[in-house]
Amino acid sequence: MTETSVATRRTPALSPPAPRGSAGRNRRLLYWVATHAVAIALALMFLAPLVFMFLTAVMSSNETLGGGLWPRSWHWGNFATALTTDHGVMLHWLLNTLIYAVLATAFMLISSLPVAYALARFRFRGRKVAFVLVITTMMLPPQVTIVPMYIMWARFHLTGTLWPLIIPMLFGDAFSIFLLRQFLVTIPKEYADAARVDGCGEFRTMMRVILPMARPAIAAVALFQFFYAWNDYFGPLIYTKPDSWTLAVGLSTFRAAHHVEWNLTMAATLLTVLPVIIVFFLAQRVFIQGVTLTGVKG
Amino acid sequence: MAAAVSVRSVTASRARRRHRLRVLAFMSPWLIGFTLFFAYPLAATVYFSFFRYNLFQLTPIGLTNYRFLFKDPDAWRAIKNTMWLVIVMVPLRVLFGLGLAQLLTRIKRGGNLLRAVFYLPFLIPPVAATVAFVFVVNPGTGPVNNLLAKVGIHLPDWFNDPTWTKPGLTLLALWGIGDVMIILLASLLDVPKSLYEAASIDGANAWQQFRRITLPTISPVLMFSAVTGVIQTLQYFTQAMVAANASQGNADQAGTTTAPGYPDGASLTFPQTLYNEGFQQFNMGYACVLALVLFVVAMFFTLILLRQFHAFGDDD
Amino acid sequence: MSPRPWRLITALAVTAAATACTAGNQTPADSGPKAEAPQTIEVWHGWSASHEVKAFEDAIAGFHKLHPNITVKLVKGQDDTKILNAIRSGNPPDVVSSFTTNNVGQFCSSGALQDLTPYLKKDKVDMAMFPKAVQDYTQYKGNRCTMPLLADDYALYSNKALMKGNQPPKTLSELTALAKKLTVRDPDGTIKVAGFLPSVTYYEHVPEHLAGPGFGATWLTPQGRANFATDPAFTKYLQWEKSLLDWYGYDNVKKFVHSMGQEFEASNPFEKGKVAMAIDGEWRTKFLQEEAPKVQYDTTPTPVDDARQSTYGGGFVTGTIIGIPRGAKHAQASWEFVKYLTTDTNALVTFANGLGNVPSTIPALASPNLDLPPQFKTFLDVFKNPNSTTIPSTINGGDFVVKFQSFVQDQWEPGKVPDLQKGLQGLDKKVNDSLQLAGG
Repeated sequence: MTETSVATRRTPALSPPAPRGSAGRNRRLLYWVATHAVAIALALMFLAPLVFMFLTAVMSSNETLGGGLWPRSWHWGNFATALTTDHGVMLHWLLNTLIYAVLATAFMLISSLPVAYALARFRFRGRKVAFVLVITTMMLPPQVTIVPMYIMWARFHLTGTLWPLIIPMLFGDAFSIFLLRQFLVTIPKEYADAARVDGCGEFRTMMRVILPMARPAIAAVALFQFFYAWNDYFGPLIYTKPDSWTLAVGLSTFRAAHHVEWNLTMAATLLTVLPVIIVFFLAQRVFIQGVTLTGVKG
Repeated sequence: MAAAVSVRSVTASRARRRHRLRVLAFMSPWLIGFTLFFAYPLAATVYFSFFRYNLFQLTPIGLTNYRFLFKDPDAWRAIKNTMWLVIVMVPLRVLFGLGLAQLLTRIKRGGNLLRAVFYLPFLIPPVAATVAFVFVVNPGTGPVNNLLAKVGIHLPDWFNDPTWTKPGLTLLALWGIGDVMIILLASLLDVPKSLYEAASIDGANAWQQFRRITLPTISPVLMFSAVTGVIQTLQYFTQAMVAANASQGNADQAGTTTAPGYPDGASLTFPQTLYNEGFQQFNMGYACVLALVLFVVAMFFTLILLRQFHAFGDDD
Repeated sequence: MSPRPWRLITALAVTAAATACTAGNQTPADSGPKAEAPQTIEVWHGWSASHEVKAFEDAIAGFHKLHPNITVKLVKGQDDTKILNAIRSGNPPDVVSSFTTNNVGQFCSSGALQDLTPYLKKDKVDMAMFPKAVQDYTQYKGNRCTMPLLADDYALYSNKALMKGNQPPKTLSELTALAKKLTVRDPDGTIKVAGFLPSVTYYEHVPEHLAGPGFGATWLTPQGRANFATDPAFTKYLQWEKSLLDWYGYDNVKKFVHSMGQEFEASNPFEKGKVAMAIDGEWRTKFLQEEAPKVQYDTTPTPVDDARQSTYGGGFVTGTIIGIPRGAKHAQASWEFVKYLTTDTNALVTFANGLGNVPSTIPALASPNLDLPPQFKTFLDVFKNPNSTTIPSTINGGDFVVKFQSFVQDQWEPGKVPDLQKGLQGLDKKVNDSLQLAGG
């Protein structure tokens, strides 16, 4: 399935049969125009909400209720207002979000890499069962176990903080283990064998030889984990209280707190989205490779 | 001779023990994590389902929580809504994702940019995407509805009208099609070009090529997208909850709680009713019953997926 | 964010198996530092407008003089869900206050808030200083886990300019007639000025503020079960509500409600002159003074059903409550704070003046220092009126009110209930089932 070369990958998988003659050329031109017109129209529709979001964010508060599309005057100060309103509560949410995302990502990497390595490299009894269980935990909705989890964290007096979301990351994240394992199995055994011949222990082999080769996969899981935390709503909604809210939970209350001031709500929303967009354009390849890895490669 | 054999077997068993310890060391984070954060809570969910528990008093009540499930109109409402989403939203997402992926395979110049544009909304934090979407399609103030009203198209009051709430959420889900699209695009690009060339020589038209070559080749991936889509939809929570909050005109007066699933329970999904029972009403025992229902259904689809992994030849 | 989690991970591993069976630990009433020790107590309350926050700070100035060792940290904008979550987490604030009495049953019966009886006995507080209704709504089945901190009641506000010389209505038929007369509409039916909006989605026009005082509806049967289908007053209320709503047109009302401003900001439609008459709480006098000083208005008691004219003068009465969560770390200092705030006449009068609220003790009600606009007198009268009503406490809080509200809002108002009696019976069953699940 993966044998097709890079060159053929870029060619269209499905081109219409090439008819001969000028009638054929016309048909092909028509076809080309139709395809591109549909694609561009769809692209505009996909971008429209973001554009409107931006235009609304720079309107005055009255204007947002009037239903106008283009701001009559540009209120750039709305972004600053959104950030500083209520004693800069948004910056506080941002800080919480960063604490959650950075720690969760770091912990996830430390704990998931060895597990994925073991599942990909070692032969042992129960390996298959373990892998099946990893996929199962990855798939099952978090709501299935949330009640006893909450009770457990409440016993430890850690509800109301971000720790119930961060600590479990020290013990492996199923999705990341799965994804890393899928990548690690594609690395030819010979590399590791060569390292072992050179007298490297298993841990050093993993660190020195395999991990550098798995860099794209590691980057992908790290990014996924970071954005998972950045976007997570259910977890913080359950566990945090106002002083430990993340951007996602805070933003969901923003509308209620600012009611008809849609401009501020949109400014706050845009500020939440912006980092994601920037990182995406910087690391597009990593993302798309990672997503592909989850679905197709066996 | 005998000594040599025993030495070898001692070395071998020592090596085996070392190997076992090494496996254990590498696997330990997950072993602990699985036990503490999955196996134990799952068992505890069963345990608590026989109790009335509000985190203050734990009272055994036998099967009362289970019995309540059958007369709880909210739970049935939520089951119906979630089923609606599974039946409508999931197939639409797969079809739309496939359509976009097909389209992308035909675009040469600017294809990468288009791919990025179609993928981008998927990455937008769900809360932000939902708040923005609710505003944009809000009649009266929303730019999209206004724009269309000018050319004579009047869109419904998506998130305030019970009939249109789930279609509105579906639209939102189609906007965030990125994940499905990328996976399908990758699998489309993996279909060997030589197959199309051969078919084309045989005089097969575009539809026949799609039917005979594309579909069979990508069908495992389509299946994968559909099943993961179902499992994701079973836990559909954030968008429904945020859309309800954002479109509910009046800000809640502090202290009063409103019924979940605005408007008229139309956006009440199963995980939401679980959240409401467990973490708003603090009927934690009953929430455990709901969790078990979710577990059984989700497990069913997970098993389908696991079988598919076998089909992929993933069990070494 | 301390190194605590590391230690906890070990603890977690050891005790995870055992956690399922033990309930949270009880805090003995006199644990924690003595009231005289230097300490900081955290107080959560629901007020958020700037004049409200300032009023609270002014009210506790006297407490600082009395207890210079206790620093008070006020946290604004909290509601019952956040309070209950904090108590459940085991990390509650030292004092909590709530705008609604709905959850008193839950607070007291679950032990979420501490029973204050031992403190009251120790300090010999005379409960007779509180009016009877106030004593009732702050306790549940003999467990006094909250104290009253000011009271709220509701009456009819009318905008003098929009009334065009008409007297405020006393009966519901007068109200209905006036509402129609004073409404101004565009040709397409869009409401420009509403006489009186009957919908429960209009801020304070929730069923408890109208069905009880106006129609004499009784919320629960003597057995503590739902009474919606069995008390004809609910049917009468709903039919009145719906007929006026249909006169406006459901869609027109919906449109108006969705475009109106925020209740507690200057964009409030009554303050903006877009509504001629509205039921609202006594605090609106203060908001009008702060945000719309030019609006001329009257206040009169809630209009009543024509058959119940003898009960005119009452209204819906409720109050803010204050209590000490279980697990509070400075319970004794907290008690000193609660005692001061709920019994000290000066504190209550300062606070009531600042918020435009009704004081909750008899001495404070009689205080000559009460400085409130003339329209406020209606609220003091309603508060003392024997026909005033409130809603009862149940084990699952205001669940029956929430369910009734959602029935009216989602089913009844859009016209989705073909058979009202049947609809109400279904509602009763739903409420009773939930009560049973919660152990009521």
